[in-house]
Amino acid sequence: MALTKDQLLKPLAELRGRSVVVTCMSVTRPWGRYSSSDLDFASADSAMGHTADLALGIALARPERKVICLNGDGSMLMTLGTLATVIGAGAANLVLFVVQNDTYEITGNQEIPAAGRIDFALLARGAGFRRVYDFKDPDLYKTTLPEVLSGEGPVFVAVRVEKGEEGPISRSAKEQSPYLRVSLAQSAHDLRKALTPPRFPTL
Amino acid sequence: MVSAKSVLEELKACGVMHVIGLADNASAALVSLLAGDDSVRYIAVTREGEAFALASGLWIGGKTSVVVAQNTGFLESGDSLRGTAQRMRIPLVCLITYRGCKEMRRQKAVAGPRPWTVEEFSRADLDSAAIVTEPTLEAWNLPFDYLETDADLPRIAQAFSRAARESRPVVLLVTENMT
Repeated sequence: MALTKDQLLKPLAELRGRSVVVTCMSVTRPWGRYSSSDLDFASADSAMGHTADLALGIALARPERKVICLNGDGSMLMTLGTLATVIGAGAANLVLFVVQNDTYEITGNQEIPAAGRIDFALLARGAGFRRVYDFKDPDLYKTTLPEVLSGEGPVFVAVRVEKGEEGPISRSAKEQSPYLRVSLAQSAHDLRKALTPPRFPTL
Repeated sequence: MVSAKSVLEELKACGVMHVIGLADNASAALVSLLAGDDSVRYIAVTREGEAFALASGLWIGGKTSVVVAQNTGFLESGDSLRGTAQRMRIPLVCLITYRGCKEMRRQKAVAGPRPWTVEEFSRADLDSAAIVTEPTLEAWNLPFDYLETDADLPRIAQAFSRAARESRPVVLLVTENMT
């Protein structure tokens, strides 16, 4: 059993409020169909495997705000050590999802190492995460999501999703999602502006 | 040699609230100082590549940080630095400790201006991490300067100014162990 990307993202978009949402790889484009918030950030055209640590930095800088990271399973494997870094840093406002389809979907669904055998929830527990969820059932995910997003973290959420057919992501006018129609630099600077408004409003 | 206490004071004066890195012999004194400091937080990473992404996230969230890494870890983390701080145009100062610098400079002075040989890359008394550090910084278009003694401490503020002015990462090479 596994969720579709829509079953994963739609309830999340409804509940995220003013949380920062950082996406990567195969959920980047689908998330843009549900959200066009100034607090969305696509870790696309960026550094492979470094979405979770980037999100951790945002979370540490803005402890008053929830930061939701939608990481890929292949991406998480590239920097598994980040699980320990998150725990060491103690980011209580970080919710780290690993979207597990067992493949590198963007490049044609090649299997990740240990596909079908790796247990991300167990890895997270081993790293020291105390709040860990592992979802395969869409209904259970939807009913539990409010609990996942509330309370103190860091929270780790493994979600099994169906394989898809998302192709390579570009940052260009060809993309539908507003957050993919600007450069990575522009997107980073825009998010900083959204997170750090001027202390005194201008007339 | 540069004093860790003076480096920390300079970093504080530049508004640094987080130091992110992985300790080595050259930065150990600074990391020890940070353990007892309430105003600047040290965030340990498991691999240096995390540090550049994490620092980029901190800047996006409005905080000034500095990355401290050994040149070996810097070389390991190339794509992270390229794909985050550099590509995002983030003003970030990186203190890169320069393992093998002293012997590399001595050998270079003896050999004169010529490319390093294959044999030199594998010599036990010559650290190949030092050989490739500056050419790598140049190839990645990263401006750099040296932090060798306490007389160089003003270069920290200069690095922050340049990083902010040009919206880019700037590197300071720490040539000896901090004391």
